[in-house]
Amino acid sequence: MAHLNDGTLRRIVDDPDAITAPDREHYATCSECRARYDAMAEDARATAGLLAAVPSADFDAAAAYQRLQTRDITRPRFGLRLPILKPSSQRMVLVLAAVFVLAAVITASANVSQIFAPKTVKPVPVTVAELESLPDLSAYGTITWSKAPQPSLVPDAATAASIAGFPAPKAGSLPETVSKTVSYAAMPQAVGVFTFSAAKAQAAAAAKGKTLPAMPAGMDGSTLTLTMGPAIVEIFGELPKSTDKTSHLNLPQLIIAESRTPSVTSSGVTVKELEDYLLAQPGISPQLAADIRAIGDPTTTLPIPVPVQYATSSKVTVQGVDGVALGDNTGVGAAVIWIKNDVFFVGGSLKQSDILSIADGLS
Amino acid sequence: MASDRAGHVPAVKSEQGAFEALFKSEYARVAGIANRVLSDPQEAEDVAQEVFMDFHRLHSAGSPYAASWLYRAAAHTALNRIRGRRRRQRRELANAPHEGSKAVDPQQVVEVNEDRRRVREALARLPQKPAAVLVLRASGLSYAEVAQALGVGTGQIGTLLRRAEAALRKEVI
Repeated sequence: MAHLNDGTLRRIVDDPDAITAPDREHYATCSECRARYDAMAEDARATAGLLAAVPSADFDAAAAYQRLQTRDITRPRFGLRLPILKPSSQRMVLVLAAVFVLAAVITASANVSQIFAPKTVKPVPVTVAELESLPDLSAYGTITWSKAPQPSLVPDAATAASIAGFPAPKAGSLPETVSKTVSYAAMPQAVGVFTFSAAKAQAAAAAKGKTLPAMPAGMDGSTLTLTMGPAIVEIFGELPKSTDKTSHLNLPQLIIAESRTPSVTSSGVTVKELEDYLLAQPGISPQLAADIRAIGDPTTTLPIPVPVQYATSSKVTVQGVDGVALGDNTGVGAAVIWIKNDVFFVGGSLKQSDILSIADGLS
Repeated sequence: MASDRAGHVPAVKSEQGAFEALFKSEYARVAGIANRVLSDPQEAEDVAQEVFMDFHRLHSAGSPYAASWLYRAAAHTALNRIRGRRRRQRRELANAPHEGSKAVDPQQVVEVNEDRRRVREALARLPQKPAAVLVLRASGLSYAEVAQALGVGTGQIGTLLRRAEAALRKEVI
């Protein structure tokens, strides 16, 4: 008989009776399993001791309920409230994404013209306040699109594939609640060149009464070339109405997206100068800057902003690679993002376990 | 709110009553889970209030998953708070490199118990699920309750717990 697995042995530590007769017989005669049990029991005892170092406290539920009554606990009419997705905030989300990509690229550039090529994803916690205080990057220079982003709804998967140059991702089995109606969107590759302008940055800051740190020598006029997409997006269920201006998000049941990884080349100044300059801008909090710096290896990591008040994130394994999962198992909303050659996204108003199952079954 | 209409008043009252009952029956446990992470009863009560408010905004008190949702949210919210503390501490150290040896963090003054501090820091470094398994189990939840709270099978809890305990010891040593 095979040795008992870790889960079974660990369960015996807490509940010696929670074991089947064959397992009990094996355990009684297997010195290896008993040795593993002893090691586990020691870890369990030590961990329990560490966690028990916190003294228990008495909590008065009735008094706490009284306190709760004084607070605004209005229920939304439906769905999940996500203020960052209000139309007025969408630009800030785009700016945030640009900040992260730029920060990662700049940090990644050892000298000049090096390419940012993310191979994995990592969460970066942000607050709504941080989102709302981010600077507008368009004030720091000029972006010129040689191929402007042109996402469009297309009639079917074949058309999406012809635009993107790769086949649309195909979901395996889906929960019965997911609609069979699928809409496709596709975006061909987009290429833009961002040119830093010291004069423009200072003028924009002066107009707002702010002072910027001096732009490093050589940065004025230097360029970053961003390449994004192509990408395909599949939306299951009814499309959200674009006229809906409420702050309540009407999440589609399921969205599946695949995009070529973004790539960027940079020129002009040293990594350190660029990084210090960008992360020292007014509006980027020291905490956010520290979190971006702490990402790890920025040459291969795509940071995923996680609004900490509205979502929890966890590290998961999807299709054998690391991914970032957002949300929970309540069915309100969940998503997972990972990179396996391309960047993939699966999200919607499903349980996290369903989303992960769909992600793993994607082909 | 549509349910303010006369015909829906009993439903509103019923929901409010159900929420009050849920709050009073689960509050101590939810706050206890948060306190297990934070070692700070006052902050644990803040977390518990936040968790109940979030639940009330989004879910019905009669939901079969209510208690599981609250336990999980308490663990995750408290863990997010200690991770936020770590980020703050990193930032403060980065911003005041010359004061590092002399600066006195009021919170550290209060944290006289070195074991608690080390455990909190170790929990903050662990991934969310292992940390939550440890906290929920240490808060007295059964294998089945922990499994429900984390949305996994009961049979997986032993394995998760084993890995989490090994990881925590490694972090603390």
